[in-house]
Amino acid sequence: MQKPHRILLDRVSAYADEAAAFMRRRRVARRPFARLYYAGGRSADHAQDSTAGAELFVVAGRLIEVAGSKKGAR
Amino acid sequence: MTTVVIQEARARDTVDIFTQMPDAAAATAPSGESAEAALAFLAEMSPDLRGAAVLGPEGEVLAATGEEPERWGEDAAALLAAADAAEETPVEQVHIATEQGEVFAIRNGGLTAVAVTERFALASLMLFDMRSMLRELGKGSA
Repeated sequence: MQKPHRILLDRVSAYADEAAAFMRRRRVARRPFARLYYAGGRSADHAQDSTAGAELFVVAGRLIEVAGSKKGAR
Repeated sequence: MTTVVIQEARARDTVDIFTQMPDAAAATAPSGESAEAALAFLAEMSPDLRGAAVLGPEGEVLAATGEEPERWGEDAAALLAAADAAEETPVEQVHIATEQGEVFAIRNGGLTAVAVTERFALASLMLFDMRSMLRELGKGSA
């Protein structure tokens, strides 16, 4: 049988692992991307540092600015 | 004998169906009012939506949220031009996720919809709603 303080340590380390995994997932999910879909279901990703990708991100930024932050501001 | 009857019926009825179908080239752009209504419905269905616009076959803005419809037209045209130029092929859908928000664009039946949403909006749902909106608009204008 494990000593009580060992159970506590295991639990704390399990929570720390969970938190680290959550942060890893969040970091991956927050990475910006530009994805284009073509006829036939083909899709292509363009990195932000590529020529096409950079242009797409610039225009997307302008559209985000036009839309503003308020939902459906008419 | 039965097969012949079925084939005759198919040929006859198929012609009827085709004559009832609208010619895609003859379809006209939907009215601004119907585009506005469709956009309002999209906004109601999509809680993450910040703003959107519907563009006609010539790139003209049929409806847009906010006070600057002409800017929607210019920026949407620039987005589609950049997307088409990426692989020298016309795109059907665009999805760009940045840290400030997400941008979606979709073409259907000569119409284009562009939308800006909050970060982490459900892309498949958003694109589905936008495509449905354009299809309904296209049906209404045919």
